[in-house]
Amino acid sequence: MAGKTAIIASNGTLFDAYKVYNIATAAAASDHEVAIFFTFEGLNLINKEAYGQLPLPEGKEQIAEGFAKGNVPAIPELVEMAQELNVKFIGCQMTMDLFGLEKEAFVDGIDVGGAVTFLEFAKDADVTLTF
Amino acid sequence: MNADKVLDAKGLACPMPIVKTRKEMKELESGQILEILATDKGAKADMTAWAKSGGHELLDTQEEDGVLKFWIKKG
Repeated sequence: MAGKTAIIASNGTLFDAYKVYNIATAAAASDHEVAIFFTFEGLNLINKEAYGQLPLPEGKEQIAEGFAKGNVPAIPELVEMAQELNVKFIGCQMTMDLFGLEKEAFVDGIDVGGAVTFLEFAKDADVTLTF
Repeated sequence: MNADKVLDAKGLACPMPIVKTRKEMKELESGQILEILATDKGAKADMTAWAKSGGHELLDTQEEDGVLKFWIKKG
């Protein structure tokens, strides 16, 4: 492994999803070991019912056209690619409980854990990012 | 320049050219050359950085009619 990247995803718009998954897949494609901790609205980015239709940030609806024209991969496609590249997904247990969501609500292959699970991974990471 | 394989990543946005390049590179042997075609302008800097971080050699880059061409030798 060329490095280690730890990402916290805590927001749930389409913009947030691209920020998280573009960096995650680029890092994994550069042979980094990558883990993403999904917490609060960030859980939307792996929620099976939500991740295919994430909202644009308020007031930015006109950007939808740019996405359509830009040949940008859809979020479910990026998720699949990230998982193929062995990016580790960790769902935050505490916020899942708060929102009344079970593991089954999310894409397959996620781990569920608490803050310490993420910190254990992140403590010796070369790159740490929060979105 | 003679390439062992050509990857057409034209029309793809970041980070797809890099993700696809990595995938193709895995299939090659050390010393073989991959030619990549891309239209994502960010690929210019990204391919250079990616090759460096992975221990590969970026042999040449050219630009023709808005298409970026890269030749990377597997390290």
